[in-house]
Amino acid sequence: MKPGSEQFRSILILILVNVGIILVLSFLSPTFLTYENLLSVLKRMSELGMLAIAETIVFISGGFDLSIGTIMAISGLIAGQMYILGLPFFLCILLALLGGMAAGLMNALFIVKLRLQPFIVTLATMSILRSIVYGVLRGKTLSHFPESYLASGDLTILGLPFLFIVLVIFALLATLFLQRTYVGRQIYAVGGNERSAYLSGISVNRIKYTVYILSGFICACAGLLFSIRIRAVIPDAGLNSPLEVVTAVVIGGTAITGGKGTIAGSLLGVLALFLLTNGFSLLNLNPFWQLVVLGLLLIYVVGREGISKALVGKRLKKKTHQSAAIK
Amino acid sequence: MNMPLEQKIQEKRSPLRNFRELPIFLFIVGMLIVFSIVIPGFLSARNFVNISRQIAVVGILSMGMTLAILTAGIDLSVGSILSFAISIGGMGIPDGRTIWVVYPLVLGLGLILGLVNGFLITRVAVPAIIITLGTMNIYRGITMIVTQGRYITPIPSQFLYIGRGLTPFLFLLGTVILFIYITLFTRFGRNIYAIGGSEQSAVYSGVPVQKYKIAVYAISGVLSAFAGLIFVGRSGFIQPQAGIGYEMNAIAAVVIGGTSIAGGAGSILGSFLGSVLMGLILAGLTMLSVDPYWQGLVTGILIILAISMDSFRQLRSDRRTL
Repeated sequence: MKPGSEQFRSILILILVNVGIILVLSFLSPTFLTYENLLSVLKRMSELGMLAIAETIVFISGGFDLSIGTIMAISGLIAGQMYILGLPFFLCILLALLGGMAAGLMNALFIVKLRLQPFIVTLATMSILRSIVYGVLRGKTLSHFPESYLASGDLTILGLPFLFIVLVIFALLATLFLQRTYVGRQIYAVGGNERSAYLSGISVNRIKYTVYILSGFICACAGLLFSIRIRAVIPDAGLNSPLEVVTAVVIGGTAITGGKGTIAGSLLGVLALFLLTNGFSLLNLNPFWQLVVLGLLLIYVVGREGISKALVGKRLKKKTHQSAAIK
Repeated sequence: MNMPLEQKIQEKRSPLRNFRELPIFLFIVGMLIVFSIVIPGFLSARNFVNISRQIAVVGILSMGMTLAILTAGIDLSVGSILSFAISIGGMGIPDGRTIWVVYPLVLGLGLILGLVNGFLITRVAVPAIIITLGTMNIYRGITMIVTQGRYITPIPSQFLYIGRGLTPFLFLLGTVILFIYITLFTRFGRNIYAIGGSEQSAVYSGVPVQKYKIAVYAISGVLSAFAGLIFVGRSGFIQPQAGIGYEMNAIAAVVIGGTSIAGGAGSILGSFLGSVLMGLILAGLTMLSVDPYWQGLVTGILIILAISMDSFRQLRSDRRTL
């Protein structure tokens, strides 16, 4: 990432936004800038951060994945259900991860083989998988897990929660994968222009399979982290995540049209989201202010060029008209 | 999309053979037959009135959604506009405001929120999915903050007439007919297809794309508010959480009805049939005492079936040209 590039600028803006939120909140609330509070924020953002990593990779490839939150729910369900059936726990985890990857493969098959729109395919798989989660759990929660597994949620390493460290490791690996590997660069190429990627010899279909299966895998890991954090599997896990994650990822500078984006940006977006939630609850504000702030932030960050043009006035009207048409 | 010219002409010449809605229509008939055989009491007037009331809200939302999707856009904020309009427009109800005040207010709020969507989408020049994702959050947030999450109840009976008996369905039918007319027989309608087909070509052929897009989202806003009025009439109270997830149902109805999410192809009639099919199957499953938990499975499979069918047709015609 070069200084001065668009990516760099959006990450810089986000760092400033986060620092601004932290400054304002530490003035307004005495409990905000305490170790315990920040620890809980970092711990809570772990699974949504994982989902954001998955969604970022999918967005960069020019795709869309609405099923992230549902894959998270179903992988937790698989792990919990298999453990109740008496399988050894490492096998349950393995099955949960495989389940997530299978869900991703299903998305990819529809998208590649039938050339269907990712948005609609994942809308359908989201609906199907969520229904399975509801049907199996029937409003109940599963909380039968090995104690050592659940205890890892309270673990801290170097003062940082274990769950957050897992997120950081995944973020680093994903960044390395996207920036430094052949396949990672191909994902950017496919998202930038599928046709020219194809013509320059990239197996576009293979990249799509990779992206959705990887997304399924990461979401399955998120599901395990979530079950550790709340010590249970709940039917509504990840119900609102597509919304929150897409907002965070787009705020983080990843283009919904594909071809550009960074993991770091997305995680900064998630961090801003959680700092805001935390701040609003500490200040006893209506938590729904968060929705308004996030929505405004989303529109502002994505549309800042368009907004400034609109504010400058009709002088540029013709130009925006044309550029909108070209898009 | 990339159909050869001859085939396009052929499609125009034989309307029945290429009646896009035929499969879904047959599917509805098939479901009706199956359910009437399997479920005793399914073929009763009361049951159909019930089902028709359930279809109306999503059906009306899907009309606006169809227009948005035809222009290659989408409107994720319909559920939020619904609750915003009825919750904030209905705040005067406990003080004795009548429908003559409240209804115009609710519809006006829907119009304003839709216009805001339209202005943002055209002026900020950002994909509709992002803008309406943002406004969906903002509208929902404002609704919850202003109402403090409180229900408005009881509702005077004058607000309930719109939700009684066949009234919701008649309103839905009226909306469907109006929009079939608009999409097929007016310049506005044809241009909406043109924008979705290729926005750039539409601009070059002199279509006022910006104005039309704003109009589409404004219409979607008004329809969402209107659906909200029917929702209130049906449920008998106003809740600020109303309409959560309705955007997905509306999108599902539109897609099941054969409208392409890429824009430029599809129909109002299809979306209507899509919402009828969804409502019919969900009602049938409920009567078969299938757990409501499994409803999403049915919706999801229907969506996959509908889009796969479209895609198969497309792939086959692609192969034919090779």
